[in-house]
Amino acid sequence: MEIVFDKVTKNYGPINVFRDFDLKINPGDFVFITGPSGSGKSTLIKLILNQIKPSSGDVLIDGQALNHLQNKNEIDKIRRKIGVIFQDYQLINDLTIEENIALNLDIIAYPQEKIPSRIDQVIKMVKLQHRHFLFSSQLSGGELQRACLARALSIEPEVILADEPTGNLDPVNAWNLIKILQDINEKFKTTIIMTTHNTDFIESLDKKVIKLGKTEHENS
Amino acid sequence: MKILKLTLHHIRRSPFQSLMAFFTVFTCFFLLNSFLLVNRGLSTVLNYFETKPEITIFLKDGLDQATVESVQKELASYPDIKEIRYISKEKALSLYKDMNKDNPLLTEMVTASILPASFEVSAYNPKVLEVIAQNFSAKSQVVDEIIYQKDVIQSLLTWTQIIRRSSLILITLFMLIAFVMIFTLIGMKITNRKDEIKISRLLGASKFYVKKPFLLEGTIYGLIGSFFGFLLSFIIIYNLRFAINSFFQPIIFIPNLTFFEPLLLLAEIFVGIFIGLSASWLGARRYIKW
Repeated sequence: MEIVFDKVTKNYGPINVFRDFDLKINPGDFVFITGPSGSGKSTLIKLILNQIKPSSGDVLIDGQALNHLQNKNEIDKIRRKIGVIFQDYQLINDLTIEENIALNLDIIAYPQEKIPSRIDQVIKMVKLQHRHFLFSSQLSGGELQRACLARALSIEPEVILADEPTGNLDPVNAWNLIKILQDINEKFKTTIIMTTHNTDFIESLDKKVIKLGKTEHENS
Repeated sequence: MKILKLTLHHIRRSPFQSLMAFFTVFTCFFLLNSFLLVNRGLSTVLNYFETKPEITIFLKDGLDQATVESVQKELASYPDIKEIRYISKEKALSLYKDMNKDNPLLTEMVTASILPASFEVSAYNPKVLEVIAQNFSAKSQVVDEIIYQKDVIQSLLTWTQIIRRSSLILITLFMLIAFVMIFTLIGMKITNRKDEIKISRLLGASKFYVKKPFLLEGTIYGLIGSFFGFLLSFIIIYNLRFAINSFFQPIIFIPNLTFFEPLLLLAEIFVGIFIGLSASWLGARRYIKW
């Protein structure tokens, strides 16, 4: 899946986050997005998900401009190919972790009979074997982040968007998560777009890095 | 996660709201079905009175057989006539004696010659009787007197119309209450679950996918509410059947079970599902904005 930002400008009222921002992410890339708080890292993720619209310019996925899609269902199809690890987890509170994963698999129309084994697989991958039957309110921040990763991995996505996925993890678990993402990127050529403040990962791994600057106030 | 499982999960997660929706539909269909069954009995009562002999034409004395027959033929030529009964002088006497058998003083002095022969006419359409009364009142050479309970028929006709119209209004009102109740409840549930819907949409769920559990939920309220509403009113009315029927004797107010009841159940379930589905569809359309 190719992701292109073509002269994207994004304003939140008087705050300008991006101005004529160009970016191209090729299929199979592993990209770190870094920058200070408020520099637009999460905005970039939201623009790719079409959760918010650019003020001007286009975000193109495989050549399709998201704000000019002919068929409104097209965005659903695109989202089904993207696994997301949200900064605020976005797990459904009154479903257990395995039910959250099952819901995502159901959304992408994963064969019903294969859902339990797929859940087992990803739960083991993120080491949540003894927690999968719990609700999100019963998990720690790190466990929630791993549950989010499990949900994202479960759908075998073409792209993984990870918004500060290591923010709540201890160094060991953080490196484990990076290793999982790296493995998936190498094995399945899954595109990984990860926002982070952690310079250790960026320096240790030889990956593409996009540095975002400070946001501008239009009046200043 | 299968749609039914998710829907049942929604219902379990807000049991009081769900119970409220169920009881509203249940009450509506309980009242609706009770009203339909009672209305059916009332229609039988009205039909009974409507089609009873309503006009009696007393003949003049001394008419020959041919004249009596020509009157009978003329009466038979009117449309919607149910029955024409000729009561001869002798038959009139026997009826009179039968009616007053406990009072011999009233019967001793009466002979067949002082009682008039008559025609008792009943019709399917009471309006025909009015026409007959008008036409025969002009035949003074053969008709002695006409007894036509016009006011009673008029009153029955008015009541029939009032009952049928009011039943239509009440049924429409019940349906509207059930519809608005489910619509509002689904709206509340959607608002309560908006985070879940937003998350599902971000994961790629289509609008129809996120609407499905709410549509099914509305359908379940309609289905279960209409079924149990029917069942309870049916059980109550059919348990009181003998008492009700003996009160309305000789009219059978609540008849024995026929194919009508299963058909009524199916029709009510269909209407219940339609109300539940359409109300939840409209609620989902109105409240799911993400």
